Amino acid sequence: MDKKPQQNPNKSQYYKKSENMPHRNRKYPNCENLEELLKPHVQSFDHFIDIGIETMLENIKPVKITDKFTNTTLEIKFGTHELSAPQKGHAAIGQRLLPFECRQEKGSYSGKFIVEVCFSYNGRVPLKEKFKFGQLPIMLKSKLCHLRGANAERLVAYREEPTEMGGYFIVNGLERLIRFLIMPKRNYPMNVERDSFRERQDGYTNKAVIIRCVRNDQSSVTNKLYYLQSGSARLGFWVKGREFLLPIGLVLKALIDTNDHEIYASLTCCYSDIYQKGERSVGTQLVGERVKIILDEVQGLSLFTRAQCIQHIGKYFQSVMDGMDDETDSSVGETVLEEYILVHLQSGHDKYNLLIFMLQKLFAFIDHRATEDNTDALQNHEVLQPGHLITIYLKDKLHEWLFKARRLLQDELSKKGQKFEFGSLLDVKKVLDRNPSKSIGTAIESMLKTGRLASQNGLDLQQKGGMTVQAERLNFLRFISHFRSVHRGAAFAGNRNTSVRKLLPEAWGFLCPVHTPDGEPCGLLNHMASTCRITSYFDSKGNIKDFFKIRLSILSVLIGVGMTPSLPKLVRAGPPEVLSVLLDGCVIGSISSNMVEKAVAHIRKLKLSANSGIPDDLEVGYVPLSVGGAYPGLYLFSSPSRFVRPVISLNAEKNHDIELIGPFEQVYMEIRCADGGEEGRTDDNPATHEEMHPTGLLSVVANLTPYSDHNQSPRNMYQCQMAKQTVGFSSQALQFRADQKLYHLQTPQTPIVRTEAYTKYNIDEFPTGTNAIVAVLAYTGYDMEDAMILNKSSVERGMCHTSIYQLETIDLEEQSGKSDHVRQIFARSNIDKSVRSSVDSDGLPYVGQVLHPGQPYCSTNNTLSGAIKEHKLKGSEPVTVDYVAVDVKHNPPQKVNIRFRRPRNPIIGDKFSSRHGQKGVCSQLWPDIDMPFSGTTGMRPDLIINPHAFPSRMTIGMLLESIAAKGGCLNGKFVDATPFPSSSRKENKELPIESDSVDDEVEPESLLDELGPLLTSHGFNSLGSEVLYSGVLGTELVCEIFIGPVYYQRLRHMVSDKFQVRNTGAVDPTTRQPMKGRKRGGGIRFGEMERDSLLAHGAAYLLHDRLHTASDFHVADVCSLCGSILTTSFIEPQKKAGQAIAKVTPRGNQRKVTCHACKTSKGMEKVAMPFVFRYLAAELAAMNVKMTLNLSAGASEKP
Amino acid sequence: MEGAKNQRFPKIKIREMKDDYLKFELRETDASMANALRRVMLAEVPTIAIDLVEIEVNSTVLNDEFISHRLGLIPLTSDRAMDMRFSRDCDACDGDGQCEYCSVEFHLSVRCDQDQTQDVTSADLQSTDPTVVPVDVAARSSSSGYDASENRGIIIVKLRRGQELRLRAIARKGIGKDHAKWSPAATVTFMYEPEIRINEELMESLSLEEKNSWIESSPTKVFGIDPNTHQVMVVDAEAYTYDEEVIKKAEAMGKPGLVEIEAKEDSFIFTVESTGAVKASQLVINAIDVLKQKLDAVRLSDDTVEADDQFGELGSHMRGG
Repeated sequence: MDKKPQQNPNKSQYYKKSENMPHRNRKYPNCENLEELLKPHVQSFDHFIDIGIETMLENIKPVKITDKFTNTTLEIKFGTHELSAPQKGHAAIGQRLLPFECRQEKGSYSGKFIVEVCFSYNGRVPLKEKFKFGQLPIMLKSKLCHLRGANAERLVAYREEPTEMGGYFIVNGLERLIRFLIMPKRNYPMNVERDSFRERQDGYTNKAVIIRCVRNDQSSVTNKLYYLQSGSARLGFWVKGREFLLPIGLVLKALIDTNDHEIYASLTCCYSDIYQKGERSVGTQLVGERVKIILDEVQGLSLFTRAQCIQHIGKYFQSVMDGMDDETDSSVGETVLEEYILVHLQSGHDKYNLLIFMLQKLFAFIDHRATEDNTDALQNHEVLQPGHLITIYLKDKLHEWLFKARRLLQDELSKKGQKFEFGSLLDVKKVLDRNPSKSIGTAIESMLKTGRLASQNGLDLQQKGGMTVQAERLNFLRFISHFRSVHRGAAFAGNRNTSVRKLLPEAWGFLCPVHTPDGEPCGLLNHMASTCRITSYFDSKGNIKDFFKIRLSILSVLIGVGMTPSLPKLVRAGPPEVLSVLLDGCVIGSISSNMVEKAVAHIRKLKLSANSGIPDDLEVGYVPLSVGGAYPGLYLFSSPSRFVRPVISLNAEKNHDIELIGPFEQVYMEIRCADGGEEGRTDDNPATHEEMHPTGLLSVVANLTPYSDHNQSPRNMYQCQMAKQTVGFSSQALQFRADQKLYHLQTPQTPIVRTEAYTKYNIDEFPTGTNAIVAVLAYTGYDMEDAMILNKSSVERGMCHTSIYQLETIDLEEQSGKSDHVRQIFARSNIDKSVRSSVDSDGLPYVGQVLHPGQPYCSTNNTLSGAIKEHKLKGSEPVTVDYVAVDVKHNPPQKVNIRFRRPRNPIIGDKFSSRHGQKGVCSQLWPDIDMPFSGTTGMRPDLIINPHAFPSRMTIGMLLESIAAKGGCLNGKFVDATPFPSSSRKENKELPIESDSVDDEVEPESLLDELGPLLTSHGFNSLGSEVLYSGVLGTELVCEIFIGPVYYQRLRHMVSDKFQVRNTGAVDPTTRQPMKGRKRGGGIRFGEMERDSLLAHGAAYLLHDRLHTASDFHVADVCSLCGSILTTSFIEPQKKAGQAIAKVTPRGNQRKVTCHACKTSKGMEKVAMPFVFRYLAAELAAMNVKMTLNLSAGASEKP
Repeated sequence: MEGAKNQRFPKIKIREMKDDYLKFELRETDASMANALRRVMLAEVPTIAIDLVEIEVNSTVLNDEFISHRLGLIPLTSDRAMDMRFSRDCDACDGDGQCEYCSVEFHLSVRCDQDQTQDVTSADLQSTDPTVVPVDVAARSSSSGYDASENRGIIIVKLRRGQELRLRAIARKGIGKDHAKWSPAATVTFMYEPEIRINEELMESLSLEEKNSWIESSPTKVFGIDPNTHQVMVVDAEAYTYDEEVIKKAEAMGKPGLVEIEAKEDSFIFTVESTGAVKASQLVINAIDVLKQKLDAVRLSDDTVEADDQFGELGSHMRGG
């Protein structure tokens, strides 16, 4: 797209920066910290590119089609794939497509996706054919993005922000991202109690063990092991929207060659007589009974060998399984076991072992030796990452395509029979062409566009919609918050039960307790704490992790510390003597319970060293033995998508290594506060870890609130909301943006009082407010009830000046339909000269021109009809044309982007807020001379707020900010207002202001003791108050006034977008009452309650005025003879009107009315009524109800 | 008049005078007078500021409104302002506001053709009237006050290669009440002269340490101690900010009435800081002129209501802009 204002076509040269420019040393910020925040998004998509597609294609089962005539079998499967970087489609093939171009032309940033499809006849060497599967959207800054690896200068050359971090997709010009979604932790069996389990079938209890098994291509199957009242158990899983329940004994026997004794022994082993002292514990006997029932069930089906069991399963699933019609029962049975039972494991032995473990856990749950696992706790959660969602969705779509291909070929075979050359690949491909392969790309794109998954089998996800959101750039904080947000799932939003919304201690350090919206999505939409990360497939060096190697090294380490591996089945014991060791949901062995702690310590040590082969993000979940607590065991997780956060490990060497811990293990760890406080720990259980910094538990946005530890906590929540609604410096690449609406603060400032996070995340690149001198006093009465007074002169000098950039896209192609020849062009009318003031000869507006509402800004000419259509400016305020961008792909141009600029300088009714949840509405722009002034400095405040804003809200942080900022101003230094300074590590503690005189001996008791002397040294009151004089009278105000600079944000809610007035205007055509809706110039409803209030006041005239005169006042002709208002009609004036009119008052062109029913105009009367009354009569008539009016002359007045 | 016997003759004593700074005493009058003077200085002394900008080319990073706003805020030397006409009252141009009696035209045309970032400053504004120029430009030519090397002009916008700014600007006379850009004063403030009486007898009952801590309690240096006699004395009465810290301290020490501080009702110390549009001294004189005109208008309108319309410029002052 070319820009109109700049005639220079080779615009990129103007960004070309040669190295020999020593003067140009603009320091680009180091945005590593910011990139770290978005890493989970980018990394998951990198994984998708690197290996995700590959493994996914391998995992799609081939389809087989057999031609019965020629007896040839065709196997179709997917081979290798190619995914290319985004490139331009049309004329300029091979040219790379840049994200900014996509934004401008409302296109998608996507790369070509090609997969080799292998056709193999009768098992011969496959013939490979490349199929184009359309365009796959590419995430920005992922490995296939052109912006990857570009430094700030290159990014600027690409018309991006110098701090562009990617992580989102561009679909139809919109920036959309896939939001993190909470999922049950993968490959971890959980005890769950739910009443709905009872409703499965008769005899089911409410208890089960649930495990969500995830394959290496991220697709998952959830298995449920239900407990039956009989003592047996059923393994449940969903196939095609139906739940199938298999007796557990059958599954156990089908998995491996085993015998009843072995099963009995391994299940009953977990009860030793020593551990039966517990009150509710039940003996071996009871478990033995249960196992007997389980085994009897299988015997009852007269199944004895493994082959019989598999065959039995196969027989049942023959009809359910797709594409297995011709297979034998046993191979169907094998497939069921492979595809639906514990899919994260490959070998039957592993599955068997895990099932045994799950049964043990289930029995422990039933016998109250282990509690329920909380499905709402973060401990049992992981996250669904964007790349993984795309992988599973793409797999589903490709799978679908393959099956459709098979069906098409089969249909073709049965329809045409021998006529169809099944052996010819060309003919086969012709049939396949009916199954458009391009639709795959479109499906992914529309998933990103709408957030809806159009899938048959549900993908083992709880929700089908709301997966994506738009990455709004209202301001930087809002933008970044989108990427840090984690949603609990749409299924819980409608849930009346509020337990899911609870803030649980497990979430400490992972999810921010402050940063969640209040209201409907409260507690469901959380934000990750600033230090929280998500594990990925990449190690710290950026290489893909080799899970096989990791597994082996973990195994060897564990065997080294005394674990007995599970393979030669030797151990026949369970807790409490021996604990099972699970690695990513696979029972790898068991370890004696008195050796576990040593083993855990050893692994943790190895975790920290780089070359041990143990990944640094390994989660070592050691659940210790307890009476009635969580089921004990050593659970190791190396899988991706887990939450982790760094803490300091306090090992013997005292070298303070940073260890990554997960929410599962955190619960069982001793982590002390960063100040080293032991919080009641004794020497018996010393702290093993230490927090890095107390602010680590807050999200990025919550971390920016200064002195948030001095505020009442809900106020900090409000600030997190308001920070995201603030008008800020939204973009540095403002000139190149093509957002629908962009708010831009003209004169932003950096806050004087700031937290460490402010510098860490380079918020200075996108500041969001102004340091305003705030006086806290009740001055004119205009500052009541959270209103605030702005100094008129301050506003005139530029405080909070804002503009809104609004984009209109005019696409003629879209309007005229997708026909080949151009029907419409941009052109100005030659006849109508009045347009010329606002429309140029090319039919587009002049850049820089001010347009008024109703003025045309663009005109198009239909070349066939010659009709000229003008686009007129909507709204009620004047705008300036900011830029006109023309798509030059077509000649004449078909698509333009016109951006308008609306000035929005502060006016009465605009909303402002400090950073402490103290919002207010501007009630007056008060003249500077009337503002109170300081006698010594002559300072007048920019802003006055009412002191009543403080007592109930307790935002002490705001008062401290004011004092600190005043001190900072006087000293010319920024003030550090990081919360919890007293709880952070002592060695790097600094004074909030790096003052020259550091008296480090005396530890100040409170913040005021630190800030006060600073003010006194400059001749100010230590508490921040000053003597002010009335601006009107020049006399001293009675009280000293608290005054100082506070960072104020301007919120995006402005009156200009909200005010609604009307006197006369549009009416609803059916009722003739005023319309509703601000956009249509409608009114505000004067409703029942308002009516009641007027009735109560006896304000009859006003009531009549509002509900009748100013609404649907109507004078109807009523026939007094029949009482109808519907049968009246005008007589056409062609008749001799003389005699009829003579009776009626001869006024103007009064027309004669007659009644159709009575065939006379004798009884016609005029009656004023609301028009809806007439409408009611008509509606009733439609229902065969006649309404008659009885007219009588009023007692007091004549009609 | 009856008020004649209460008539007072305010006195002004100038303490310190620079081009942009003035400190003076105003005596023998009351707060209403002092505050009126302050208000007039801030909001009603006319100056000249850019009011209308016609942008021809703007390919800079800042948008038209923003640049216009910045131009408006540049202080222009406004010694002419008192004699100039308001555009709305100008007969010569029918309120068009573009004639020589009520406006000054500026031109600005800068294009960056180098690889360096180029600053567009107030020095690039070409005035048609040599008496009305941006104040920093005037200061540079007069070589008084500022250090010329330090003075790089007020930056309007920065340009990169290929960017250009070309515009015509009209400066007009106006007052601060209408828009802050016409306010000639950066700060005008006054304080009541304090009268401090130390109760010597009570003071002597304090130890040296107590005396010192009492003196320290005032954030500003009002009191001092004689190193020889250890006598507490007033060092700088005017440094007192009426914060009553010392009185509170005295009460806290159990010695109420240690010091008595009163504000004199009839003497004020004014501090005036000018933007440079008008010299600080001239600002005060202009303010008194404007105040006089306003009072004249009040006196005249006392007799005739119709007279209100005849005042022209004065009328507008009376009606508040």
